[in-house]
Formats: sequence, structure tokens, C-alpha cells
Amino acid sequence: MRLRALVAVVAFAPSPAPADDCYAVRPSGGSVSFEVRQAGAPFRGAFRRFGGEICLAQGQVERIDVWLEPASVDAGLPEIDAALKEKEFFETARYPRIAFTGRSVEARGERQTARGMLEIKGRRRDVQVAFRLRRDSGEPVVSGSLTLNRLDYGIGTGEWSDTKWLGTEVKVDFNVKLAAVKAPN
Amino acid sequence: MAYFRNLGETYGIIAQAFHWLVAALVLAQLGLGVYAASLPVGLARLQWLSRHKSLGLAILVLVLLRLAWRAMNRPPLLPGSMPEWQRRAAAAMHRLLYLLLVLAPLAGWLYASAAGLSVNWFGLILMPDLIAKDPGLADVFKQVHRALVALLALLIAGHAGAALRHALWLRDGIAHRMLPWKPRANR
Repeated sequence: MRLRALVAVVAFAPSPAPADDCYAVRPSGGSVSFEVRQAGAPFRGAFRRFGGEICLAQGQVERIDVWLEPASVDAGLPEIDAALKEKEFFETARYPRIAFTGRSVEARGERQTARGMLEIKGRRRDVQVAFRLRRDSGEPVVSGSLTLNRLDYGIGTGEWSDTKWLGTEVKVDFNVKLAAVKAPN
Repeated sequence: MAYFRNLGETYGIIAQAFHWLVAALVLAQLGLGVYAASLPVGLARLQWLSRHKSLGLAILVLVLLRLAWRAMNRPPLLPGSMPEWQRRAAAAMHRLLYLLLVLAPLAGWLYASAAGLSVNWFGLILMPDLIAKDPGLADVFKQVHRALVALLALLIAGHAGAALRHALWLRDGIAHRMLPWKPRANR
């Protein structure tokens, strides 16, 4: 949606806006993984479908609009993956996407901090995400991590709100490649 | 009168304590494992499986200590009055029991490691994984763990049956070598 809106703006703007350098998150070649504690031991998994757009201006991130599909969760155990899609966790039938919209980015060289809104299961929270933007053989690569409190987003409700058995903190690591979005002519 | 070390005809109290402690824990562990495995994915399953894993590691350590004690304390010999094949069968049975008491928990630990469900021992010590997460291998070790446990349960039944035969029918004092009291008369 946002991509189309942007395309429309660029295509019909009377004079081209100051050259924004927009990139799409590549669907493959990257990773979005998570780690949470189960019964006091780390448990890891990943989300296989993610995407979005990141725009740069003067080498710095200017806009971030990224998402992932929680239904693509892959913890290596089919029965756990199935449970994670249910109501107590991601309720994927009702909330197919988790989205992050960056509002501002503070840069210090390669290290940057994005402030923005994270929306999971219809719950919105302001978060800060530390990341690095670097070039890997010319292609921009964005990597970083954030730690969030799953209870803020209603992930693991009912019996799963027991934080002794399922930790409160969830660490999310991402490392995604960006592909330049071709300017429409 | 009990002795710490094994004597010529009877097991000492250390060996007896190891035997009955491991026996009680293994029986509890069998029940725990079967019950946990029957639960649907949920908090109860996570809790009972965690306890099962912790208890399994405790049993593994106990069995290794027990084997070390046994290595330093030769078990009492079976009387020459017993037929040769029975003595051989008893020795083979005991070796296999020890082997399974080590392998079954190890296979469980490998299964937990491969499944990515690492073990925190009773919430006190985070145990290392034996192998990296691998869903394919997790399935393999799950089957191996189950097969070893089924075999172990079968052997335990045979072992207990043989002990009861010695204790109640033959009354030859063989089973009482593992008990702190002596059989009543007619030996």
C-alpha cells in the first residue's frame, strides 16, 4: 500500500521530490529471528516472510516501513509453530501482519537508532530500534535488534502469561538485504 | 547388619541405596514421561516435560555415580548352586539395564537439544545442548528415546519378576542381597 502511494506521489509530482533513495526489503537472503526463555532456557525461532521499504537520503535512513507475517513463524517444531498462530499468541487469522513504522532516525556513523511505532495484534507501542546500515558488495544491509516485552502486545495470554515458564522478554534480531526500488519513468 | 561396601554375599548399603533410589526415580520418571507426552501443547506440557528432563538428568548423574561405585566395589558373586545359564543371564540383564539407564536419558537430552528445547535443570542450572538444533534429528532422537525407554521398561519388568521369583518362590536369598534384611528361614 505504502509502496503504491509512494509510486503515485513520485509519478505524479509536478517536479520530482528531492531524490529519495528507496529500497525494498529483499524477501530472501536475510533473517528475522527471535529468542525467548522457555522453562529457563533460551528458545529460538524465525519469521520467514517479511518485507517493507526503507528510504535513504544523504546516506541516512529517512523512512522505515517494514512488516513481517507472524504466520510464517518457524521454530523448528510444527506443533509449536501451530500454537504460536493461535489466539493466545499471534492470532494470525485476525492480525496477519506485524509492522514497524519509523518516525525518526538518529545516526552516528554506521550505528543508527530508529524511533517509531511497533504494532502487534492491534497493540501499538513506541519503540527504539538500534541498527546498522552498511553496504555488502554495494547492496545495503540493515541489521540490528530490539528487545520487547511480549505482554505489552498480548503475546502469550491466559496460562501463557506465566512469566516463570515463558519469559517476558523477547529479543528480536534482524539482518535484511535491501534492493533498490526502480524509479518509475 | 548392613555394610557400606559390598561383601562376598550381599550388597553394601551404598549400593543398595543407589539401587532403590534409582529404581524409585526411574519408575516416577516413566510415569512422568508418559503423562507429559500425552498432554497437548500447552503450559502443563511445558511444565511436566521440563520436570521430566530435569529428573532424567538427575537419574543420569546418579547412574554414573552408581557405576563408579560399582567399579570400585565388585558386586557379590552369584552362588555356584545357580545354573550357569541363569548366572550368565543375570549378568547380561544387569549390564543391559545399566547401559539403558545411561542411554535412555542421553537420547532424551539429545532429543531436547535437537528440538531446540534446552534444559534448565530444575530452574537452577542451564545445561548445555549436546547437539545443535535440527528438527530432522529431533524426530530421530525422539524415536530412539522412546524405543530405549520401552526396552528399559521391559527389562525392569523382567528384572523385578526374577527378583520376586527369588524372594517369594525360591527363597534363596538372592533378592535379599539388595535388601537390608535377611530372608526368613527355609533357605
